[in-house]
Amino acid sequence: MNPRKIFIATVAIVAIAVGAWLSYQVASPPRAQSTRAATLLNGANALPEFTLVDHTGAPVGADVFTGQWDLVFFGFTHCPDVCPLTLQVLASARQQLADSGFEPLPRIVLVSVDPERDTPDKLAQYVSHFGEGNLGITGELEELRKLTGALGIFFGKSMREDGSYLVDHSSAVLAFDPNGQFRALFGSPHQAENYVHDIPIIVDQS
Amino acid sequence: MNRFVPILAVALVVACSDARAPLVASDVTINKPMPGMQMAAGYLTLTNNSPEPITITDVTSPQYGAVEMHETMIEDGISRMIELSEVTIEPSSSVAFEPGGKHLMLMRQKGEPDLVTLELHADETVVLTISVAPGD
Repeated sequence: MNPRKIFIATVAIVAIAVGAWLSYQVASPPRAQSTRAATLLNGANALPEFTLVDHTGAPVGADVFTGQWDLVFFGFTHCPDVCPLTLQVLASARQQLADSGFEPLPRIVLVSVDPERDTPDKLAQYVSHFGEGNLGITGELEELRKLTGALGIFFGKSMREDGSYLVDHSSAVLAFDPNGQFRALFGSPHQAENYVHDIPIIVDQS
Repeated sequence: MNRFVPILAVALVVACSDARAPLVASDVTINKPMPGMQMAAGYLTLTNNSPEPITITDVTSPQYGAVEMHETMIEDGISRMIELSEVTIEPSSSVAFEPGGKHLMLMRQKGEPDLVTLELHADETVVLTISVAPGD
């Protein structure tokens, strides 16, 4: 084959490849972005009725999760390591999203799994440490179990020899949409960059 | 007086982190208690430069009623804190106490100290003393 024919054949092959690629791009719908850490949920069940109190002492029910996006963590104030670490990650992610101009910014919610020690006053001090606009929720154990039971959140006391106790608890963070629907779950370990990446996708796909 | 506390803290940490010492602490962080709380977490890396294992059996602090070694374990999505009765640092090895893993749990803070001292015990012997200004 002479050089001219080789050139023409090469051009033809490249043209066919480019044509095929272009037609694929045009014909294919845009692929949805994948989340890095969050598991998306399609339509969760409505929350049951419950009566707890927020960090100001005001009663709250299931509608406390409506009106804004919420990132909800279940922890307690006598937890020195993983709870402040998780809340710090959420606060950092929220700040990074704010700095990037993203809206709607999610609210950070701590539901105490230690209502015996976590009074509204204590929760108010605690959640405000991680920024403005955060919400703390506490209340009667029986009412708390209505909420956690519906969401598959585990918690339980772990007694110590000296009579004090710690609380074992689910480490997940749940994302609720403005209709109060549980839309996504972040498992641990929690990393701010994963939230910054995933939250816009969760909001977009809801 | 307070102006000199950070300098003193750095000097003490440096003094305790002598690379020739058998046991060296680095990356020492002791958090201030959260608002309204009397407990805090402490983090550090311990390096054993000696030819023998070093086992820390107790940690005390004059500024806290009790200090315990804990480890956060997350299994099947459940976070649990386990108290460690001892932590062994093998020869020429390091053990990190870091967020989400092993950590010190400092309980019942006395007053509002500008400087927190930790005494690490191997049985009856204090093998390392560290002082650091608590951070936010």
